[in-house]
Amino acid sequence: MRGAWLIARKDLVVLLKRSPGTLLALVGYPLLVAVLVGLALEGSERTPRLALVNEDTSTRTVLVGSERLSADDYADRLGESVDVADLSRTDAASALEDGRVSAVLTIPAGFVADLQSGGARPPRLELATSRRDPLAAEAIERRVESALFGVNQSLSTDYVSQVRRLVRILIDGGQVQVFGEGGKALGLTATRQTVADTQQALRAIGQDPLADSLDPLGRFVDQTTRNLELAGQVAESIGAPIELEVTSRQEQREPLSAFGLAAALTLALGLAAALLAAGALASERDDGTLPRLIRGPVSPLALAAAKMLVAAALAALVALIALVLVALFTDIAVDRWHLWPLAVGLAGLSFGGVGALIGALARDGRSALLITLMVGLPLVFLGIVPLEGRVETALQTVGVAPVFDAFQTLLIEPTIPERFWWTLGVIAVSSLALWLLSGLSIHRRVRA
Amino acid sequence: MATVLEAEGIVRQFAGAQAVAGVDLAIRAGESLALVGPNGAGKTTLLRMLAGPAQPDAGSIRRPAAGVGWAPQSAAVYPRLTVRENLALFTAMEGVADTPSRVEELISLAALDAYANQRAETLSTGTLQRLNLSVALCNRPAVLLLDEPTATLSPEQRRRIWAWIRTLRDDEQLAVAFSTQSLTEAAREADRILVLAEGATVFEGRVEALADLAGGDPEAAYLGLVGSAE
Repeated sequence: MRGAWLIARKDLVVLLKRSPGTLLALVGYPLLVAVLVGLALEGSERTPRLALVNEDTSTRTVLVGSERLSADDYADRLGESVDVADLSRTDAASALEDGRVSAVLTIPAGFVADLQSGGARPPRLELATSRRDPLAAEAIERRVESALFGVNQSLSTDYVSQVRRLVRILIDGGQVQVFGEGGKALGLTATRQTVADTQQALRAIGQDPLADSLDPLGRFVDQTTRNLELAGQVAESIGAPIELEVTSRQEQREPLSAFGLAAALTLALGLAAALLAAGALASERDDGTLPRLIRGPVSPLALAAAKMLVAAALAALVALIALVLVALFTDIAVDRWHLWPLAVGLAGLSFGGVGALIGALARDGRSALLITLMVGLPLVFLGIVPLEGRVETALQTVGVAPVFDAFQTLLIEPTIPERFWWTLGVIAVSSLALWLLSGLSIHRRVRA
Repeated sequence: MATVLEAEGIVRQFAGAQAVAGVDLAIRAGESLALVGPNGAGKTTLLRMLAGPAQPDAGSIRRPAAGVGWAPQSAAVYPRLTVRENLALFTAMEGVADTPSRVEELISLAALDAYANQRAETLSTGTLQRLNLSVALCNRPAVLLLDEPTATLSPEQRRRIWAWIRTLRDDEQLAVAFSTQSLTEAAREADRILVLAEGATVFEGRVEALADLAGGDPEAAYLGLVGSAE
């Protein structure tokens, strides 16, 4: 392994002291791509900007549950989910046109009045989204729908509650006050009692046939009372047919930000390590030194190991620096510093193995770098996208999917599961396989 | 003189075509052997097999314990390392004891003192070839294999390189085998000539013996041997 060490040291000298531009390109390009991916993913997590045009200036209010809401309150509730800017109709249209907002929500005049009509005139909101920013527009649509669902559910509950109260008054009697209409109601129970009292009084004066003629009225009141009791329960179940119980996980980290960081890290580390290893190995052929090395001083396996180690060390160093910067300057929680060097080191070896294999198979340095980019980019992206079946199994053999999984585990999981160590094992085995394949490819190339 | 490098019945095929077809050769210490032949005759392939990077499909090669030095036609050195760093790296990789003093010895031997701290990529073709040869010598080999060592050099650079190779051969009893397409160069620098055509040996012996084949004209004799291949 003395030859491997000497070649690794030579590569470090050449890259760090003699070719800083090349090093910057081979490491800077993946980092730049990673930053862009990270920003794109973070962007999807950002609160979208919405213009609100409130044309209902009536200041009328509607009773929702136990509180009274005006159109302004309705707008405030939406503002909890999206970044709302109050604008006039003209300004909102202009803002949507030039991309300052992703959507315009209009509360038309008479909205609260329609709401108070109890369904006679269904209230409507108007949402116009931007074609320029379809992702943000879709996010806003979802959030507005979600906010509306919440408000509508409150309204629905209130309607049902009022219907039940009305039913109760119809049965028991009392003061009616529904949707602004008021009055005194006798109630079915009192009606039934009145019918019974009347029948008893008629029988007392010998008017039995007349008393009997009131029996159908008594049965109708009984039947109606029973049906209304049932109607109250049905109305309640229609008002909230399915309840959604949302439970937050304990020690929850920022999943989407962590997903973005894990993806960016996989991309940067993967491309940097693969490009460095491929370039370093292919340059031996370009310089004509490959046959000179392989004929004695350095075995093909030692040469592949040297290239993988240098690529892994440099890429892992860059990844760790990036992690430190993320920890210092963002809200993403990065810890477990004792495990990160192991994870990024193994990942660097695995990706370096892919690069070494490509470097051994390619005809020259330029082809090696081009092929690495052409193969590496889709491979890393496929590793980040959740897949099942054969494709994922194939990806695991080159260590892309397990690397992403390991990074996600370190960033997201509250405790390190046993699966994490298994994943690192898979990465180590794939690195070993790639090392052997690279050595074999170098041997075949040179001996041919 | 003792034989230091010996090959018997070496065969090498590329995609079904025979690049080297059963070549035998032996080189003695202090002797120089020229491999002459037209393009595609198998000279480079034969040298690569003798040096080690390539493997023969058949036949055997016996190399000296002291090792074989090999200088490919294009300088096989690291362009971004200096002359001294290149020599230090290859000397260390060969496991030579006292690497620093061997490096200085090689720099002095190849008259590279003025260029020792220059990057290889900045050297002239002739100086680069001297570095290439110095790397081949770093492990003090018993045999030096040179693939067209002066093909790209100017006449003056050629003269200086050959003077140095002659010194190595005569003073250190180094066996030298080199390939060339120039019969004149082969006749001047080699003790024996091995003429290859289509991978096979068509003549082996002293240049005088070759000349005798065509009434004292070695050029005519050579063309007669390789005519169809040339």
